[in-house]
Amino acid sequence: MKLQESSFRSGLRSGTTLALILMFLVLIGFNASGAALLARLFGQTTLSGQLPPAIFGIVFIALLAVGQGISSALASRRRNAARPWVSSFAAAGLAGLALAVFILVMGSLYQNGADFRKTLYALSPAYIKFLTVDQMPIVGAAISLAVMLLAGGLAGLAAIYLPFGTYWQRVKTMFVRFWNLDGSRSLRANRYFKFGLYAVLVLMCFFVPRVWGSYWNYVFGLVGIYVLLGLGLNIIVGLSGQLVLGYVAFFAIGAYSVALLNAPIPHNLMWGFWAAVVIGILLAALSGFLIGLPLMRLRGDYLAIVTMGFGEIIRVLLKSDLLTSFTGGPRGVQDIRGPSLFGQSFSSDIDFMYLIILAVALALFIASRLQNSRVGRSWIAIREDETVAQASGVNTTRYKLLALALGAAFAGLGGVLFAARNQFTGPEDHVLMVSINVLSLVIVGGMGSVPGVVLGAFALKGLPEILRELANYRLLAFGALLVIMMIARPQGLWPVGRPSLQRKEAPDSPTENDKPNQEAPNG
Amino acid sequence: MMLEITDLKVSYGAIQALRGIDLTLNEGEIVALIGGNGAGKSTTLQTISGLLKPVSGSIRFLGDEIIGVAPQEIVARGIIHVPEGRRIFSSLTVEENLEMGAYLQRDKIAKQRTLEEAYVRFPRLKERRKQAGGTLSGGEQQMLAIARAIMAQPKLLLLDEPSMGLSPVLVEQIFDIIESINDQGTSILLVEQNAQMALSIANRGYVLETGGIVLSGEAESLLHDPMVIEAYLGG
Repeated sequence: MKLQESSFRSGLRSGTTLALILMFLVLIGFNASGAALLARLFGQTTLSGQLPPAIFGIVFIALLAVGQGISSALASRRRNAARPWVSSFAAAGLAGLALAVFILVMGSLYQNGADFRKTLYALSPAYIKFLTVDQMPIVGAAISLAVMLLAGGLAGLAAIYLPFGTYWQRVKTMFVRFWNLDGSRSLRANRYFKFGLYAVLVLMCFFVPRVWGSYWNYVFGLVGIYVLLGLGLNIIVGLSGQLVLGYVAFFAIGAYSVALLNAPIPHNLMWGFWAAVVIGILLAALSGFLIGLPLMRLRGDYLAIVTMGFGEIIRVLLKSDLLTSFTGGPRGVQDIRGPSLFGQSFSSDIDFMYLIILAVALALFIASRLQNSRVGRSWIAIREDETVAQASGVNTTRYKLLALALGAAFAGLGGVLFAARNQFTGPEDHVLMVSINVLSLVIVGGMGSVPGVVLGAFALKGLPEILRELANYRLLAFGALLVIMMIARPQGLWPVGRPSLQRKEAPDSPTENDKPNQEAPNG
Repeated sequence: MMLEITDLKVSYGAIQALRGIDLTLNEGEIVALIGGNGAGKSTTLQTISGLLKPVSGSIRFLGDEIIGVAPQEIVARGIIHVPEGRRIFSSLTVEENLEMGAYLQRDKIAKQRTLEEAYVRFPRLKERRKQAGGTLSGGEQQMLAIARAIMAQPKLLLLDEPSMGLSPVLVEQIFDIIESINDQGTSILLVEQNAQMALSIANRGYVLETGGIVLSGEAESLLHDPMVIEAYLGG
């Protein structure tokens, strides 16, 4: 015990780190951004240039303290220190104290008319008022200190004395059982449960788009379109193992199908949205097939480069003056008409949300059915080792082309929906970045995994929208999240339920290990 | 005659890998094809299984010309190739690997039966059936590669360096397995650098050097041939 650091001292040590981070966050005005994000969770929108209610600032620092309290209590317990919760109080208290001193000093200086905005841009009078909870500096400082000390300390106590570990284990087992991740019979196999779940899902899909407003319909519509793209690219890259970087080309073909067939300028064909859906999907699939033919001899990096070139060629063609009269050129195509149903317009944001949900559901169904079929197994074999797949009798050319055509078809559908929903499309909708985004979401979600694609699309397309509150820090936070995700889950958020590459100890005796496995006739 | 190769020429671009070889294999035989690095042994197997297209020559299997036939069709006719270097589907389980071997068998019951047979022959693989192929040891991976080939119930098995990188004990085991597969009626064309082992289980042998056959005959007589001893048996 002598050599061990006491809980109090280790608490102070980790508290110093938190205090420094907190000071930095306060100085750049991040508290307000964090608070605005929280306010958004409770349905309060903060206009730009304004600050959210001070109470959310308090909640924000309380959350920081809770995180710190739990982690230092657990760390102390791991070291077998006595009374590990003491370190939570110490750490959160120290950070709170630092914040309190800061508020006290700044508040007093402002009251005496000082202004720091020339050097520290974020420290506006309103922000200081926000920090002091609209009170006297001394009162604001006391509130901050008390909140952090209590929140951190109590969280530490809770982490030590409440059986969260067991709860967490239980939740985890339920999750694993539910999704059949351990290969056992799952709750999902229960017919009534399954039916109930689908019923709830269908009802949610019907009602939620009506309730949550056009902003969320916009955000989740985009997520849905990226789910479509991800599912398609997942077939090409994740299953059949062909690294295609020009995926956006198929998206563009879909988008321009509806643009050229159902907009007044440049052609005024007005064939209707539904015809454009069919034609867009077919054209994209056909182009996937045609592009595939010369690609069949290429593998890996070469394939990536060539397909990237293809994507760029499509974009440059759309943009070129040569084709302006046909494609609308750099200015793109405007006034694309949305769908109508039984003579009624079916183009509101809610209608489009339904349409996207329907398309995603269909795509999910097709993708997961394919994955577990003979076709899916052929793709996986090709991805694993093309030569051996061929030597096992897989017609590799046929299945690689099939993967390309199908994946392209998904992108075509995504493109049609995207252009029709925006009522506009132009060359700048179809830049290389789209391909890279889709590839990233497949990788982040977990190569070859259908639920992974959905999670990945939320993470890559939904999160940046949700993080919009963070304004300037949005991309920073997003990048940090991506890095953390890939460190924490290198196989992706939801990896394919394959056996891990770690050897599970087989229950056999060592003597058996050394014996020849085969009873040779002469041995 | 099961397999008859006449005047087979294969090139990689300007480099001639096979300069007109003749080789025959009778039903039920094990024929060893030995030779040093770059002699053209693997090229021969890849050409038979349709992965490579020859410049000229003829390969007749059970009387039919198979040059120009697609690889999957050659598999369907009963020639299975086990490429060198223990190439298995490493992220699939052992069982999924075996099922891929019976890819062209669409009858599920028959497939299940061959799977059971493979497990009888390779009890080790049965123990590890739910494990990812990549987690197996080297010897187990080679067994899996061979077992996967057997799943297709081949008439002719093309084995490319099954002993590569394995310890002597394991090599012994693998060759026992090869012999027992042959006992059950599968003809085998065996490519090896380990000439001693290969010739000891083979009926006949061919020695390949820089793309041409330099010697052929009964395995027994090759084992005692001064030139073979000099070049391949470390005599």
